[in-house]
Amino acid sequence: MESVFSQLCVLGSSLVLIFGLILLWRRGVTAYINAFLWQSTVLSGVTATVGYFGHDPELYWVAGGLFLLKGVAIPRLLRRMERRFAAERELEPYVNTATSLVVSGLLVLFGYAITRPLVALSQLPTRAGMPLAMGLVLVSLFVVLSRKKALTQVIGFLMLENGLALLAVLGTYGIPLIVELGVFLDVLMGFLVMQIFIYQIHETFESIDVEQLNRLRH
Amino acid sequence: MGYVLEGAQAALALLLAPGLVGLVRWMKARLQNRRGAPVWQPYRELGKLFRKEVVVSSTASWLFRAAPFVVFASAVAVTFLVPILAVPLPFDGVGDLLVVVYLLLLGTFFLSLAGLDPGSPFGGMGASREMTVAALAEPTIALAIFALALGAGSTNLGQIVARTMADPGAALSPGHLLAFGALFIVTLAETGRLPIDNPATHLELTMIHEAMVLEYSGRYLALIEWAAAVKLLIFFSLLGNLFVPWGVSVAFTPAAVAVAVASLLAKLVVLAGAVALLETRIAKLRLFRVPELLSASFVLALLAVTSSFLLR
Repeated sequence: MESVFSQLCVLGSSLVLIFGLILLWRRGVTAYINAFLWQSTVLSGVTATVGYFGHDPELYWVAGGLFLLKGVAIPRLLRRMERRFAAERELEPYVNTATSLVVSGLLVLFGYAITRPLVALSQLPTRAGMPLAMGLVLVSLFVVLSRKKALTQVIGFLMLENGLALLAVLGTYGIPLIVELGVFLDVLMGFLVMQIFIYQIHETFESIDVEQLNRLRH
Repeated sequence: MGYVLEGAQAALALLLAPGLVGLVRWMKARLQNRRGAPVWQPYRELGKLFRKEVVVSSTASWLFRAAPFVVFASAVAVTFLVPILAVPLPFDGVGDLLVVVYLLLLGTFFLSLAGLDPGSPFGGMGASREMTVAALAEPTIALAIFALALGAGSTNLGQIVARTMADPGAALSPGHLLAFGALFIVTLAETGRLPIDNPATHLELTMIHEAMVLEYSGRYLALIEWAAAVKLLIFFSLLGNLFVPWGVSVAFTPAAVAVAVASLLAKLVVLAGAVALLETRIAKLRLFRVPELLSASFVLALLAVTSSFLLR
């Protein structure tokens, strides 16, 4: 039973990480949104799995909330933005695709390195997934740093949040429901603020390339 | 007994390979609403090529004449080392995963030399592209199988298969799945399928494998085509038997061997269907995006090794 549980957790975490890597390989906004949608769905599945094997019914609520917020609501808002900015693809990031992929592989290794003490101390059956969640956090940070389009950066930020949520679920079997709800609201607020920013950037520069912000220095 | 089986395995691989290529073509045709040539069409083509006259460019050296034999021989040698039907085989002691990787590379290397040799611009272009792809794909093959080797504690392909059969749960571990993804992408690259190379066309701008064999004719071309088909079969049986080893014969009884042949055929049909479906669904990548796809598969293999190493 325990082994099935840990296998499922590692499998889910691996999938979540791979959907994060799609952000580095594909170029179209549609692909990013789909990757985020699937990542969130798998994440809510992992949460529900932890709830089932950890006998914690509260986690089902968290999983449902996750799915509704990140699998349904935010993708819909993203699609609305995509209709306006779909022409703006991530064609020339600061770091080219091949290098980005290799760097992300190294970042995941680094994630393994820094979570080593955690995994060594932990007795939880979910511990094997934690390095992967850490890896996703690092890779998403790298996406935010190395891409030029504001929309890509926003999706990178959302995936970063997914990585943190995964780390929380695997490391602690879920934080109290009220805290989790607060986090959801935070994410939603952050996302809405970013959305307003993107529209403003687009108003000002007629593009959502953050390179353009350098022109503000004059 | 083991040697007989070993020989039978290599013979079966040689016989099945053209049929496998024909099967992929036929499935592709059916998926695209065409009737398609029958599955045994490649056999006819090979027979026709073997009967035809050989025309060799006057600028070609002995390399050009030797290369088809080297390519074919290296492909045949690999069929002796890869667990297609049964484990353990008597030749397991001769070669492990590294030998397999380098034998495949030897064939690629000689084919590139032969592409350069007659001095036609297409050959040189194809050779340089093939080397680019090979340089990126070979480390990924090694890494992906290393991920499995770490779990099995041996780089011996037969041992890896035996270990996975002994521990069925391992087949669903992330290391295995990631390695499978990586090896699948590399299979497409190494055997010249879409999205890396289009096996159906001779369009100058896009060809990789076809550009190198453009100068060949007659029995030389037949050998190279056959070797390419064998290579496809080797990769498919690696994918099938390393990751889903059930059905591979562990005893040398007729019944077990019959099951092994049947399961091999089933795996090949499934993989051929997957490749045909993929080739129908996607377009060819721009050549400059090929390194990106291969680095993606390299990252997958790297993650596979990491997770295998840390979850032992």
